[in-house]
Amino acid sequence: METAKPRTTALKVPLSTYRIVQIILAVIFAGYLIWRIYQVFFVEAVYGPDTWMRFTIAGLILGGVYSLIAIGYTLVYGILFMINFAHGEVMMIGAFGGYFTFEALRAIPASTATNPDTNFLNAHPTISVILAFLIGMSLSSTSGFFLEKIAYRPLRGAPRLVPLISAIGASIFLQNAAQLLFGAQRRDYANPDALARGIGFEIPVGEGIVVLTYTGVLTFVLSIVIMIVLYFLVQRTRLGRSMRAVAENKPVAALMGIDVDQVISRTFIISGALAGAGGVMWGIHLGLVFFFVGFIPGIKAFTAAVLGGIGNIPGAMLGGMFLGIVESIGPAILGLNFQLKDVIAFAILVLVLIFRPTGIMGEVLTEEKI
Amino acid sequence: MRKHLIHGLTSGIVFGIITVFLLLIGFLSTIADLLLVAINIKSLESAGLSAQTLNLLLFLGLLGVFTGIRALRGAEPLSWVQAILSSTLAGLVHGLIAGSAGFILGTLTDNGVKLTTYLSAMLPQTVNLYILNRAPLDGATSLLLLFTLTGLVGGLIAKGLGSRKVGERAGAFWQTTVTSVTELPAIKRVQSSPITRYVIYGILLLIVFLLPQRLGQYWNYTVGTVGIYVLLGLGLNIVVGLAGLLDLGYVAFFAIGAYTVALMTAPEPHALGINFWVALLSGLVLAALAGILLGVPVLRMRGDYLAIVTLGFGEIIRVLSRSDLLTPFTGGPRGVRDIAGPTIFGKPFNSDIDFVYLITLAVILIIFITNRLQNSRVGRAWVAMREDETVAQAMGIDTMKAKLLAFSIGAAFAGVGGVLFASRNQFTGPEDHNLMVSINVLALVIVGGMGSIPGVIAGAFVLKGLPEVLRQLENFRILAFGALLVVMMIWRPEGLIPSARRQLEMHGEEPPPEEVIQQVTKPASAEVES
Repeated sequence: METAKPRTTALKVPLSTYRIVQIILAVIFAGYLIWRIYQVFFVEAVYGPDTWMRFTIAGLILGGVYSLIAIGYTLVYGILFMINFAHGEVMMIGAFGGYFTFEALRAIPASTATNPDTNFLNAHPTISVILAFLIGMSLSSTSGFFLEKIAYRPLRGAPRLVPLISAIGASIFLQNAAQLLFGAQRRDYANPDALARGIGFEIPVGEGIVVLTYTGVLTFVLSIVIMIVLYFLVQRTRLGRSMRAVAENKPVAALMGIDVDQVISRTFIISGALAGAGGVMWGIHLGLVFFFVGFIPGIKAFTAAVLGGIGNIPGAMLGGMFLGIVESIGPAILGLNFQLKDVIAFAILVLVLIFRPTGIMGEVLTEEKI
Repeated sequence: MRKHLIHGLTSGIVFGIITVFLLLIGFLSTIADLLLVAINIKSLESAGLSAQTLNLLLFLGLLGVFTGIRALRGAEPLSWVQAILSSTLAGLVHGLIAGSAGFILGTLTDNGVKLTTYLSAMLPQTVNLYILNRAPLDGATSLLLLFTLTGLVGGLIAKGLGSRKVGERAGAFWQTTVTSVTELPAIKRVQSSPITRYVIYGILLLIVFLLPQRLGQYWNYTVGTVGIYVLLGLGLNIVVGLAGLLDLGYVAFFAIGAYTVALMTAPEPHALGINFWVALLSGLVLAALAGILLGVPVLRMRGDYLAIVTLGFGEIIRVLSRSDLLTPFTGGPRGVRDIAGPTIFGKPFNSDIDFVYLITLAVILIIFITNRLQNSRVGRAWVAMREDETVAQAMGIDTMKAKLLAFSIGAAFAGVGGVLFASRNQFTGPEDHNLMVSINVLALVIVGGMGSIPGVIAGAFVLKGLPEVLRQLENFRILAFGALLVVMMIWRPEGLIPSARRQLEMHGEEPPPEEVIQQVTKPASAEVES
C-alpha cells in the first residue's frame, strides 16, 4: 500500500467561499491555540515540567494502543473501502480474552522458591502475560475472521451503504452479546503482582518524580514491536505483497493468480490480532474491561487512521501516536476540563476532515475507489 | 467425507454454538417463561414435566428441527438415505455441543462454583432448567437425544418439502403478500377515486382520534413513544433513505430539540417561562440550523466518513450536555425537570392522551410534507444523487444544496421529536440522548424499508411497539437490533415494505423482477403524459 504514490484528489480550483471560510477558521483556530500555549506555559504556568512529562508519557502509551487499532481500520479500509465498525468490538473481545486468561491462571495454584503458596499468575508472570496476549489475539482474530465471513462477505459488490450498515449491526450485536454474557459491570483486570498498575521506574524531573509504569513500558514497547513486525509482513512477505495488490486493484490481482477472498480473510485475521493485542494492552495498562470498552477506542483509532491518511499504514501509526498525545495534553493546553478529552478527539476528527481530508501522510487510495 | 455430511456437520456446529450462546445470554430461560404465558399445556404436567421445562423443550425442539432443515439446505438433491444421514449427523453434533455445555455447567454448579461471577446469566436455576432439572450427565444425554431426534425430523420435513426452496418460498411469499396488498383492486380503486380516498382518510382520522380515549394510560404512553419514533424515523428516512447519507448522530438533533424546550420552559436553570408553542418552533428552527452548521463542513465527505463524523458529533453533544462546563447552562448530568407542556387557549394540554393527539398530528403533518417532498423536484434530486452523485451533478443538480436541504429537514423533524419527547416526559437529561436512540431509529428505518413511508411506520411499530408487548424480552432487544441489521442487509437490504426504486437499487447487478421494473417506470411515464 505504501508503494503507490499518494495522489492528490483535490483539483486546483479558484477560491470559493467555502475555501475562504476554511482559511479564516484555520487562522482563528491557530491564533487561539498559540495564545493558549503562551498563556499556559508563560503566563499561568499551572503545570511544572514533571506534569507535562507525565502527560506526554501517558499520551505516548495510549497512542501506541490507538495505533495498533488504527492499523486494523486502515488495512481493511485499504482493501474493502468500508469502515469496519465492529473493529472496536473485536478489540473488546481481545481484552476479555486476556482478562479471562489472567483469571484462569490465578485460579491455578503454583509454588515458587520464595513463596510456596501462590498461583500461576504470580509465579510465572512472563508466561502469563505472553499467554494472555496469545489468547486475546487469537480470540479476536477468530472473531475478525468470522465477522468478515458472516457479515461482510455476502455483501461484496453491494452499494456502499449496505456493508456499512451491516458493520454497525455487527458492532451492536457483539457489544450486547458481551453485555449479556459477562454482565454490565466494569471488571478489574487482575495483572500479575510484578506488573501491578502504578509501580514502575521513577524518574526525577524538575521538582517532582515521574513514574514510568511497567505496564506502560510494556504497552509501548510491545506496540512498537508489533508495528515493526507488521511493516515487514506487509512489505516483505508474499502475503503482504498480495494484500497490496488486492488493495491496488482487485480484478487485476485476481488475474495475477491471487485468491482475493482469501487475502481479505487474512487481512481481517491480521487486523483482528492487532486489535486483540491493543485490547489486552488496554486492559493491562488501564485496568478496566467491560462490554463498552471497545467503543471509544474504536472511534478514536478510526480518527487516528483518518488523521494519518486512510489506507496508509505508517500514517495510522503516526496518527495514533499524535492523537494519544493531543488527547492527553490537549485539555491542559486548552484549559478545558479533562472530562472533555473525548470531545477533543472528535473535534480533531472533524477538523482533519474539514481541512485535510486526505490526512497528514496522504491517503493511499486510487481515484476510482472513492 | 461426502459433501452432504460436511453440510450436516457445519449445520450442527453452527446451531450447537447458537444454542449454547442463547443459553449463556439467558435467553433460553426467558423464552421458557415467556412461552409459559402463551402456551399453557396443563395436561402434560402430570407426566412429571413442569410447564417451564416443557416450553424449553418446545423451543429447543424447534431449534433442532431447524438444524435438520438447515443441514439439507443448499446441497444438491439428496437421496432419502443421504438426507437422513446428513440431518441425523447435524442433530448429533448439535446435541453433542449443547449437551456437553450442559454437562460442564451442570457439574460446575453442582460443585458449588459461582458461575455468575463471570457469566452473569448463569444462575443455578437457569443451569438446572437447561439440563431439565436432572443430574448433569442425565440431562446432557437427554439433550443429545432430543437434538438428534429433532434433527432427523427436520431433515425428513425438509426432504419432504424440497429443502432448497423453503427460504426462497418464504421470501417470494412475503413479496407477493406485500404486492398483492398494494395491488388489491379495492386499494387501486381507492387510489384512483378521490372521494373514496377522503372517506377512508376520514375513517382513519376518526379511529385515530377515538382510539386514545379507549386505551389506558400505559398504552397511550407507548403509542406516544412509537409516534415519536415514527417522527424520528421519517426524518432519518429523508436523510438515509432518500438522500443516501448515513447519519449516525441523529440523536444530536433530537437532543437539541429536547434541550431547547427544556431550557426555554422549565423553571430551572433559567426560568425563562416561554410558551411551549414558541419553544416548539424554536426547537425546530434550532435543530435545522444545527443540521446546516454541521452539514456544511461534513457533507463534502465520502459517505462512510460522514457516518463516523456524525457518530462523533452525537457523542460530543451528549458529553457536552453532561460536562461540568455546561452544567450551569444545561443542568449537567441531573438533567432538566418540570418542562412545561403545551396549552391551548390557556388550558393545559399535557396528559398522555393529549400528547398522543399532538404526536399524531405532527406525524400526519410530516407524512404529508415527506410525501410532497418525495415527489417534488427536490425529492427526485435526492434520489438521483443517492443513486449516482456524479451523474446527478452532471444533470445540473447542486448536490451540496440538495444534501444540506435533506440534512436540515431531517434534523428539523428530529428537533420536533425531541421537543415533544422532553415535554411529554417533563424531563430531559443526557441519558435520554445516547447513541441507542440513533441506532433504534436507524434500525427501524432500515427494517421498514429505506425511502418508504409505510415502511418506516411499520418499522417503528415493530421495533418500538412490539418490545413493549414482549416486555420480558426487553434485555435482548438491542442484541436483536444488531442481528437484524446484519440479517436485513444480507437477506433483504431494501426493507420489509420497500419503495420500488430502492428495491431495484439495492440488488445491484442481479436483474430485477419484471413487476418491480414496471412499478418504477410507471410513475415516470405517467408524469410525462400529464
